[in-house]
Amino acid sequence: MGDLAVLSAEEFRRLCDFLYRRTGMAFTDRKQYYVERRIAERMAATGAGSFATYFSLLRIDVEGEVERLVNAFTVNETYFYREEHQLRCLTADLITDRLRVGRAGQAIRIWSVPCSTGEEPYSIAIWLLENWPMVDRYEIEIVGSDIDTGVLEKARSGLFGKRALMRLSPALVEKYFAPDGPDAWKILDDLRESVRFSRVNIVEPLETRPYGHFDVIFCRNVLIYFDDASRRIAAENLYESLAPGGYICLGHSESMSRITPLFDVRRFADAIVYQRPAESTHG
Amino acid sequence: MGEARKRVMVVDDAALVRLYVRETLEQAGFDVDEAMNGIEALEKLLTSAVDLLIVDVNMPQMDGFTFLETVRCQELPLASTPALITSTEAGPRDFAAARAAGANFYLVKPVSREKLAQFAAILCGTEA
Amino acid sequence: MPLVRKSQESPATAPSDPASVLSALAHGTDDERWAAARAAPGAPAGAEALGHALATERNLRVREAIFTSLARIGTAESVEWVLPHLRSDDAHLRTGALDALRAMKGAVRPYLEQLLGDLDADVRLLACELARNLPSEDASRLLCGLLDSELEANVCASAVEVLAEVGGAEALPILARCADRFRGTAFLEFSIKITADRIRAQAVPPRG
Repeated sequence: MGDLAVLSAEEFRRLCDFLYRRTGMAFTDRKQYYVERRIAERMAATGAGSFATYFSLLRIDVEGEVERLVNAFTVNETYFYREEHQLRCLTADLITDRLRVGRAGQAIRIWSVPCSTGEEPYSIAIWLLENWPMVDRYEIEIVGSDIDTGVLEKARSGLFGKRALMRLSPALVEKYFAPDGPDAWKILDDLRESVRFSRVNIVEPLETRPYGHFDVIFCRNVLIYFDDASRRIAAENLYESLAPGGYICLGHSESMSRITPLFDVRRFADAIVYQRPAESTHG
Repeated sequence: MGEARKRVMVVDDAALVRLYVRETLEQAGFDVDEAMNGIEALEKLLTSAVDLLIVDVNMPQMDGFTFLETVRCQELPLASTPALITSTEAGPRDFAAARAAGANFYLVKPVSREKLAQFAAILCGTEA
Repeated sequence: MPLVRKSQESPATAPSDPASVLSALAHGTDDERWAAARAAPGAPAGAEALGHALATERNLRVREAIFTSLARIGTAESVEWVLPHLRSDDAHLRTGALDALRAMKGAVRPYLEQLLGDLDADVRLLACELARNLPSEDASRLLCGLLDSELEANVCASAVEVLAEVGGAEALPILARCADRFRGTAFLEFSIKITADRIRAQAVPPRG
């Protein structure tokens, strides 16, 4: 019990080839020990007696094992200003670009989906208020959506613990939150009430269509977990939910290369993002 | 001693092909990057340039010709990166399609190590 | 405060009636054909309409939507409409077809033996990739069956590539015979060796 299953070099390579193909995650030989530890955890959790047995069930994604394994490799905590480089890209490049298109008084619309307990959409709001010089000249609409109504309730409550705020400077916390008990801060009502939270299943076009078109969508760490068919449908739904020329950002270790060819790849100083082509025909 | 090693990116969805090309070209003095398909290759190329692309045709999400056409539409210098198509097909229509997509050369799989190293050197301009 | 909140999204527009979906798929603008392709799974004879559209659709994104919808329908009929494009001269269509088939594992399964035995080497080659979707034992068995009598180097290479992931001990003698057939072809010798090494490594009990 508690024995570490050590992977042979061939087993490690076989696993790496599989993970790279499925998810785009690449592990060098230097990471072998790190990978082995997580494999050992999953083998124990699934009751697989050998790596060969575990790999057989991983390959055909028994009970969502691919997702569980990938989760073991990624930091799943959500917190404010996670992936700050995407927020920088938002103000430095994406919004600027979206404003070049004639807008006739339309709001800039940003969708955070899945929004989980709200850190991401509230982060976007705070970031814009703090970092975008033109923030008072335009209307900004931020929508946070998730399939899980439980996390949506938490998001609406606007209550966060110390860990969620760890990347924010004390000045920012002071400015936008009020202490609300031991290890709880509540985001200011102005901000809390300005973000709309709603339930959505991104695989259902009838659920995504009513949202209309967004300028920027943040869709992190969810697409890569769907099966092939659902991934494509969700990608098409998100494509439709973008205004022509709009942008979608994925999670740090995700790539459209494992999802769909619908979007154009764009590189900006701070991030790689994906764009729906600007012309209205889908060329 | 000489100029910096030339950088090659192999774009192929077969892990063993990528490994074969990597071993062969590293031994011949090249640095090698990899990508599984055209979309991933584009993401990497937008971050750092290479001296040569070795591109398969049949890959998930984005085939090699569509990828090359997309590369040729990018800004310079990326757009003019030399590209070698490696394909299982050997017909005149396939050569024509490769040329139309912007390939500089075409090798029919399976490719020998000698040919791979030789044509990489020619297309990177390092052949003596 | 520049942040604004709209009270709710506008209601979803009712899906078009089947007749207009099918008509738009054949005759509409790019946007209309895109929307129709996405709506087609809800229409009767949707697979057939999608299949017909696939033969003539030039817009790459609409094509993608057609393939996705066929995969959503996921019946034997869908498979039949997609299969011919595996043989296409157009690399984009071949890729689209293969990706769509990958997304309908269950519907494709009954066709696999036939595809792996197809007269066209290119089809056999792509079919090896489809075998990757099977549980390891099944995939290994099917690919071993192909490999033992396959004379085309690239088809063998495709089978060996997948066997590197799924191969069982029964593959070892077949791989050895294949290496004999292709002695002197560096890439095949290379990939057979790696695949055989990986299969043999499985037989060793885990340490620790």
